[in-house]
Amino acid sequence: MKWWKSKIKQKLDFENQKENALKYAEESSNESSNQFTGDYTVDLELVRKEIGHNWDVQFREFQIGNTGVHAVIIFVNGLSDKELINNHIMKSLMLSFSEKSYDDPSFVKGAVSKELIKNQVLSISELTEVYDLKGLVSKVLTGSTALLVDGMSTVLILGTTKGKSRNIEEPVSEALVRGPRVGFTETLSDNTALLRQHGDTRNLSIINFQVGRRTKKELVIVYMQEIADPNLVEEVKKRIKKINIDDVPESGYVEQLIEDNYLSPFTQVQNTERPDRVFGALMEGRVAVLLDGTPFALIVPVTFSMLLQSPEDYYERWLPSSLIRLLRYLAAAISLLGPSLYISFVSFHQGLIPTKLAFSMMGTREGVPFPAIIEALIMEVAIEILREAGLRLPKPIGATMGIVGGLVIGEAAVQAGIVSPIMVIVVALTAISSFAIPQYSAGITLRMLRFGAMFFATMFGLYGVVLFFLFLCSHLVKLKSFGVPYVSPTVPYRASDWKDFMVRMPLMMMKRRPKMLHTKDSIRKD
Amino acid sequence: MLISSNDKITTSQALVILVNYILATGILTLPRTSVEQVKTPDVWISVFLGGLIAMIVGVIIVKLSQQFPEKTFYQYSQDIVGKWMGRVLSLLIIVYFFTISAFEVRTMAEVTGLFLLEGTPTWAIIMPFMWVGLYLIIGGVNPIARLFEIIFPITIVIFLIVTFMSLGIFEIDNVRPVLGLGMLPVLKGIKTATLAFLGPEIMLLIVAFMKKPDKAVKVVLVGLSIPLIFYVITVVMVIGALSIDGVVMKTWPTLELMRSFEIPGLIFERFESFLLVIWIMQIFATFTITFYAASLGLAQLFKKNIHPFMYGLLPIIYIIAMIPKNINDLFKFGDMIGNIALFLFGVLPLMLLLISKLKGRKV
Repeated sequence: MKWWKSKIKQKLDFENQKENALKYAEESSNESSNQFTGDYTVDLELVRKEIGHNWDVQFREFQIGNTGVHAVIIFVNGLSDKELINNHIMKSLMLSFSEKSYDDPSFVKGAVSKELIKNQVLSISELTEVYDLKGLVSKVLTGSTALLVDGMSTVLILGTTKGKSRNIEEPVSEALVRGPRVGFTETLSDNTALLRQHGDTRNLSIINFQVGRRTKKELVIVYMQEIADPNLVEEVKKRIKKINIDDVPESGYVEQLIEDNYLSPFTQVQNTERPDRVFGALMEGRVAVLLDGTPFALIVPVTFSMLLQSPEDYYERWLPSSLIRLLRYLAAAISLLGPSLYISFVSFHQGLIPTKLAFSMMGTREGVPFPAIIEALIMEVAIEILREAGLRLPKPIGATMGIVGGLVIGEAAVQAGIVSPIMVIVVALTAISSFAIPQYSAGITLRMLRFGAMFFATMFGLYGVVLFFLFLCSHLVKLKSFGVPYVSPTVPYRASDWKDFMVRMPLMMMKRRPKMLHTKDSIRKD
Repeated sequence: MLISSNDKITTSQALVILVNYILATGILTLPRTSVEQVKTPDVWISVFLGGLIAMIVGVIIVKLSQQFPEKTFYQYSQDIVGKWMGRVLSLLIIVYFFTISAFEVRTMAEVTGLFLLEGTPTWAIIMPFMWVGLYLIIGGVNPIARLFEIIFPITIVIFLIVTFMSLGIFEIDNVRPVLGLGMLPVLKGIKTATLAFLGPEIMLLIVAFMKKPDKAVKVVLVGLSIPLIFYVITVVMVIGALSIDGVVMKTWPTLELMRSFEIPGLIFERFESFLLVIWIMQIFATFTITFYAASLGLAQLFKKNIHPFMYGLLPIIYIIAMIPKNINDLFKFGDMIGNIALFLFGVLPLMLLLISKLKGRKV
């Protein structure tokens, strides 16, 4: 019973820690809810005590016009737009103020009114007021500028945020031949703007959340008001609210915290860098999740067939798209079962392949000292290492790696009699097939499962492969992504959903949105 | 314990479950067992008539189940014949279901051991198969239905391709003359043929799970027509290629048919592996649905959670599957199950239907 008790203790400890963390959060919030008094020196000291020790926080003290009123602006060097601060805050307050203020009837020497500054002096579009230290600190640290004026108990927060962002570029991980050359960036507002740009989007709802107990990152969920199933939207909101972690550095964290089954090898949330892909999913009735600080948006719910689709399927004409899709399904099958079929035919059922081929296969395996599984494992592991190594290298060296690894080692291994030439062909074909899968995460899943299939094949031959397939299907049919069966639209049979499955039917015929998503508005076109 | 709404299945899912349940051992052995009885090439007529009988039985079963919406046989049998009699009947059917699942597993192991894995012990073939099955049915009836929908099209496509490839060795003379010896031999084969259509009994439970139970009759009719077509094609092709005398000699005539022709120039020259692949899937389907039906029965009988019964039944099915000593024992075992089934599902549902109608009138 000891282990059991210790487990309970562990749980209690964990609960205590959680409580402490909450207490800490509350205390710190109490501490910093200090109201501003309106006394310049006291307020300034308050702010200095809280954030003054930081090197990058700037305090610039000055006097407003020629009134002699003390004021200070507080901003973070690098996060705020200095141009804006110089021209529209400092200049207005120091130079232009004198000319304007004498005409104002409410002018009293030695004091300035808030309304005057707000309405006539500052030419800044984004302006809010805060009354306590907590509000000021959180705004200033995200790039706004605080203006503290002697005699005023409210502090003006001026929107001067200039996030560090890069230019919009074509996404590297999802290149297309045809389609927009636009990818998301690390700035959330840029990303939502990219979605808004798609046309008249009154329907597009962008709901904001803050995730990360300590970092409070901005996260938005995006959906089409008149299309998306309200239950789905509620479910996504519920799961986002449940996230209780100190920080979410990348949307991968969110993905792992909201997915249905973390034990499954299959990815249950799609990630993409392409705005057009997100928008396409929204129009189908799905929900997207965008996080500040990463170009990868998440799309839910996901089905297995989606992972084998590319936006290009819809941009090209239907016939080539359909054929390419079929090709991808074939590639997925080879990528999953290629080596295991080889193993089962070589070590169990030589009789099932054509006699001549069987002879030549056996002939090339003559000098190989290992059973087929070891042979396959050597080559598969080698190629996985090669791929991983190539991923981290600079591009020019990566190509060399491919040549050295693929050609030289493969050739030498065959010459040395470690593996048979047919094995090299099988492994190479498998590796290439897994590159043909448009979603990187889906490709990884198949690569992992391939090893499982190989072990089944080693033990039971073709029977093992069938068993593995049934096992895999048994897992897949149980899996759900946000209430939608992962295997849909394969099953349950729905004729209208099959129009966009293995074959992409002509757009003329795709009149309805996917039924599996239970959309509010199911008609795409009449 | 009524069935919750998210456990419901669509009409096409019910259809697929029925078809996958019926297609099992029969497809490999039916040509031999029926020819042994009929001894003329008119076997396909027997198969046809057997299918029709199965349809009638199926419709009776559906009509019975439709009297009690949302209830499975295990629940409504007690309403018809009283608490104790109902429990006994349910228990009989539960035993039938897990016996048949054990029989299917063992047959699969025999065939796999013979054609794919020579020398592998039977237990090693059976055990992983049963574990995978258990993993599937823990998810309930919905995942089962979805899995069946995945393997159903694969089965149809591969079966049709493989069968029509054997057209090369088909000789029309082997299936002639039609009714050369009259109707009598045909009638002799009807019982054997009907047994190949064992399966409509699953409707005792499935109707309760259907979203639209009023379509159940259609499900039975279509669901039996598809295996009927499969069986007629198989019987005609096998007899056409191997002739009557050839068929009786072979234990698994359908597989022998696939082995007896080669098509050079394709990647594969022989196609029995394809047939075996889909056949193993079909056995898996039959095994899982009967396994589930038995567990569901026990759960509803004792009004307990279903999962312990699934784990508990696993070793029992395994032991039953290992009882037959050899393949002849296995076939005798199969005949026994068939005879029990004839009573259980040929007579019983009709009686229960009559009783419930009479009772209904009284009330």
